[in-house]
Amino acid sequence: MSHAAHEDTPQGPRLPQRAWAFLFERLGLEVAQSLAAKKTVPIHRCAPFYFLGGMALFLFGVQIVTGILLSLYYKPSPDQAFESVRAIMTEVEYGWLIRSVHSWSANLLVGALFLHLLTTYMMRAYRPPREFTWFTGIALLALFMAFGFSGYLLPWNQLAFFASAVGTKIAGSVPVVGEKLLLLARGGENVTGDTLARFYALHVVVFPLVTFALLGVHLFLVQQHGMSIPDREARRHGGEEKVRSMPFVPHFLLRDMVGWYLALGLLAALAALFPWELGEKAEPFGSAPEGIKPEWYFLFMFQALKQLPPHVLGIEGEVVGVLFFAAVGLAVLAIPFLDVGERSRRVLNYCAVPWVAFIIVMTAWGWFPDHLRLSVLLGTGLSLGMLVLTFPFLDRGGPARRLVNVLGAVAVFIFIAVTAWELLV
Amino acid sequence: MSESFEPPSRRNWLLWSLNTGIAATAAAVFYPVVRFLWPRPATVSGAQEMAAPFRVNQLPNAEGNPFNFGGKPCLVVLSADGAKRLARGEPLRTDDVRAFNAICSHVDCTVQYRPEKGDIFCNCHDGVYDLNGRNVSGPPPRPLEAYKVTLRGEPGQEEIIVSRST
Repeated sequence: MSHAAHEDTPQGPRLPQRAWAFLFERLGLEVAQSLAAKKTVPIHRCAPFYFLGGMALFLFGVQIVTGILLSLYYKPSPDQAFESVRAIMTEVEYGWLIRSVHSWSANLLVGALFLHLLTTYMMRAYRPPREFTWFTGIALLALFMAFGFSGYLLPWNQLAFFASAVGTKIAGSVPVVGEKLLLLARGGENVTGDTLARFYALHVVVFPLVTFALLGVHLFLVQQHGMSIPDREARRHGGEEKVRSMPFVPHFLLRDMVGWYLALGLLAALAALFPWELGEKAEPFGSAPEGIKPEWYFLFMFQALKQLPPHVLGIEGEVVGVLFFAAVGLAVLAIPFLDVGERSRRVLNYCAVPWVAFIIVMTAWGWFPDHLRLSVLLGTGLSLGMLVLTFPFLDRGGPARRLVNVLGAVAVFIFIAVTAWELLV
Repeated sequence: MSESFEPPSRRNWLLWSLNTGIAATAAAVFYPVVRFLWPRPATVSGAQEMAAPFRVNQLPNAEGNPFNFGGKPCLVVLSADGAKRLARGEPLRTDDVRAFNAICSHVDCTVQYRPEKGDIFCNCHDGVYDLNGRNVSGPPPRPLEAYKVTLRGEPGQEEIIVSRST
């Protein structure tokens, strides 16, 4: 978009062009324009993976808008929280829509982030000089999981109350500092109104501010270093500079927007067909009801902790579990330093594949705790389905790609069968 | 460096004062903030002794069990003998009635009394305790904290008094 291309009328440039030129000069928009002109997106087989970050960004935007709207009616106190969310769902016009979109979008957002992480790992986009893009990305993923955890408590229902008690207790089982952490997180020994107020403040003030800062750095670094091109694609094209690219504005942005439009449609459909449940009001002194479980992205940890025996080598099971998950988290953060050559990369992959499968199988099991057969099927289907992500890395027509084709078809079949079974039986 | 000792110059002294001043200001700002974040003293009663909101004859499926005992849920259960005695209409003995802190020793869910199975169960991670509060299966690492129970009042309809045995 150039301000030089004015259509002049006999009286001089038209008003919109004059206004544009006025703003362009005064706001220093050349900078923005030259940045936009500089940004390009490489075109190759893995290019669809570049959409995932933008998708997460769009869903974050949805969260900001719907979150602000919800805050107009929500009241963060144990006496009023549940009732205010019920009022949003039943009395406020389109309240059900706004809350359901907020909840669904949160879940899709974490899903998009998981895929973004996985594909970034597969493309090895964390190679120098992009280590800090990786670090900020992992921090943002952790932050969005914290968003999810803190937001889960806000409706003050039974599920949320006990999930928060369990979640904070697990964080509190970290050796040495755990007990203090627990007190700080809950604002006391038990989950009370003070906990609710803390979670609310974190959810609507602290986390958003930190997210803006980290996201700013993340996006700045993406702009600074440009999009990473997988080694394999660079080799196939005979060098990174030979890979074709498209301008970000408007070509890639317009493609991004097609995805966002579809996501908006999906959100509306999910919110309309499956409005988010409210459950029953929390009873802090009642017994925990059946079916207490966290959001799906914590489910694999929840399910794994459930299977641990009370004591492992003389240490309490939950402590072992927490330390294990913390170690894995640190390892994921340190991947740019762990990937130092062909061999270490192979070791990393040998660790990553079973780990992803573990997460999927444990999640499926946590989802259907009483249907072992169903969860094995679903876990297998989803694990096979993840193989589709390797598709662009494999040679066209090669045996590996044919195998992925077959496994993908099996995965789709299993997924449909499990869904049908769950809906019909 | 050629000189091992430099006499404190006026500039060094000023810099030291400035840095100390800044550090003191930072401490004066952060200390109250950290103290502010620390939980305030419990606003709950912290009672040492109270009567359960139901009587022995309402057991085993008493409404309001567990109940709030000084900020923690308290669960009252009957021993196996106690349940038999109650079913036969015989008077209960003091040791037939037991009370526990209902917070599961695993990860802080609240347990429930299952009279039909004769155990105490936690729904969150399928932890099971016996009627003495001992962890018998599932992930709980420790028994439940037990409270002292005394029965008071008219036989057959006694009040259940729970107290912390400290």
